[in-house]
Amino acid sequence: MATPSSEAPPRLRPVAWPWWVGAGLLLALFVIYPPVRLVKRGATASAAGGATAATFSAAAWVETFWRDRLQPAATRAPELAAFLQTLRDRPSAARSGSGKVLLRGSGRVTAVERNRVLVEVEGALVALVTGPVFGNAVRDGSGLVEVNDVPGLAEFNEVSAVINRLVEERVQPGIRAGARPGVVLRFAGCAEVPEELPAAPAPLLSLVPVWVEVTP
Amino acid sequence: MLNSLRLFAGMACLAALALLGCKPSSPAPSGGASGTASATRRVAVVVSTLNNPWFVVLAETARDRARELGYEATLFDSQNDPAKEAQHFDNLIAAGYSAVLFNCTDAGGSVANVRRAKAAGIPVFCMDREITANDAAVSQILSDNYSGCVALGQYFVEQVGEKGTYIELLGLIADTNTWNRSKGFHSVVDRYPDLKMVAQQSADFDRSKALEVLESLLQAHPNVNAVFCGNDAMAMGAYQALLAAGKASKVKVFGFDGADDVVRSIAEGKITATVMQFPKTMARSAAENADRYLKGERNFPQRTPVAVELVTRDNVAKFGDYGRKP
Repeated sequence: MATPSSEAPPRLRPVAWPWWVGAGLLLALFVIYPPVRLVKRGATASAAGGATAATFSAAAWVETFWRDRLQPAATRAPELAAFLQTLRDRPSAARSGSGKVLLRGSGRVTAVERNRVLVEVEGALVALVTGPVFGNAVRDGSGLVEVNDVPGLAEFNEVSAVINRLVEERVQPGIRAGARPGVVLRFAGCAEVPEELPAAPAPLLSLVPVWVEVTP
Repeated sequence: MLNSLRLFAGMACLAALALLGCKPSSPAPSGGASGTASATRRVAVVVSTLNNPWFVVLAETARDRARELGYEATLFDSQNDPAKEAQHFDNLIAAGYSAVLFNCTDAGGSVANVRRAKAAGIPVFCMDREITANDAAVSQILSDNYSGCVALGQYFVEQVGEKGTYIELLGLIADTNTWNRSKGFHSVVDRYPDLKMVAQQSADFDRSKALEVLESLLQAHPNVNAVFCGNDAMAMGAYQALLAAGKASKVKVFGFDGADDVVRSIAEGKITATVMQFPKTMARSAAENADRYLKGERNFPQRTPVAVELVTRDNVAKFGDYGRKP
């Protein structure tokens, strides 16, 4: 009679892995898939709108732009009279690019209206805006500001609003004070080039002035 | 003690294998120059909502242009829900898409999704709606909403006059387009102190909500002269509310988008004006940027504004089908 112990199947002996194998695997796992990730403060701020956006000052930015870039550009802008000739002869060529331009010229005042002054430039009529300034004629027409120069679209729009305010504060008062029919104005300004030429007697262009000099 | 360590190590191995199994079934694109669009490359078009015809045009144009360029393209509708949008990004990252053409639900909140895709090697190209980060998406093709609403504001003053009252219906509060439009409009209208805004309320860019909101506001302000709406869907809802109140001929409605039904309504004299933004242009540009990126190009401006145009009864004949007529 066989004893039960001699008939029982042999028991599998568990493999004795060294403890450091498990620890090593665990360490490797934490290196490959870290449970936490450290990021720089700046990266978090950027994700939430960007520290640069939060600290951007349109007023300071525009002040530098106005002084160091716009005013020098105004002195060497293309001649208005030549541009008006192109506008009449080849309107599509005049409208190339952003459709907004910075020009300089001179002419005699023919009329002073509520929100504009009409000026005759070599036989063509243009208007200088003296009322509220809206839009992006100066920002875009100068060709000096690009959307990626500032943190985002909101700041890009803010730049435009501040530029327009400076025009109203620094340029328009001089025109309103000195412009009378017969007076000669030297000026530089930005305009949106019209898709179709306006019928006379409407002015060919409406310029937002960025610099002006009144000669009695 | 040793048994516990062994058990833990075994579990760790299983967890590692499970995580490895979660990797995308096809490798994420390296962005290297393959030269041609491989048949296995897929582009995801993630759009904020397909419950608005304008966004349907944006999404379908992006999808179709991607297909023309040789990619498989799939639409994901976030239904204006940031949580759904995040799920879409989880899925498309896991599935190993090559690129995302993206119209976000939340300018700030969606940045995290774009960053996750970027970390997985999937480039993201924003369309129409901006995200508030400059280092997450490859490029952002955006409507110049502010300029459009400056033009609209000037026309608003011409049509309504320098004296009167109006209501403003805002879009989604978290969307930068909502505020760029509102700020552009107010940069003009606020210069006229006798033009008074009597109410400003969000209707989430939604036609039905606009109808409900304006019906309610008209109870308190029955004599308004105009309603400025942050998009055309809300303009149509506002018009319906005015029609029901018997005021459609007295109150001027202004929209934004250039949706076909509003362009037709301008021609019929029901809506006063809108601003045409060009969804097809933006969608095609985003898809083409993605294609160029996947072929190796890296030099993209972060933001590219797309010009918009004022549409009034005077020039409405030039517009249709979400753009200018050829």
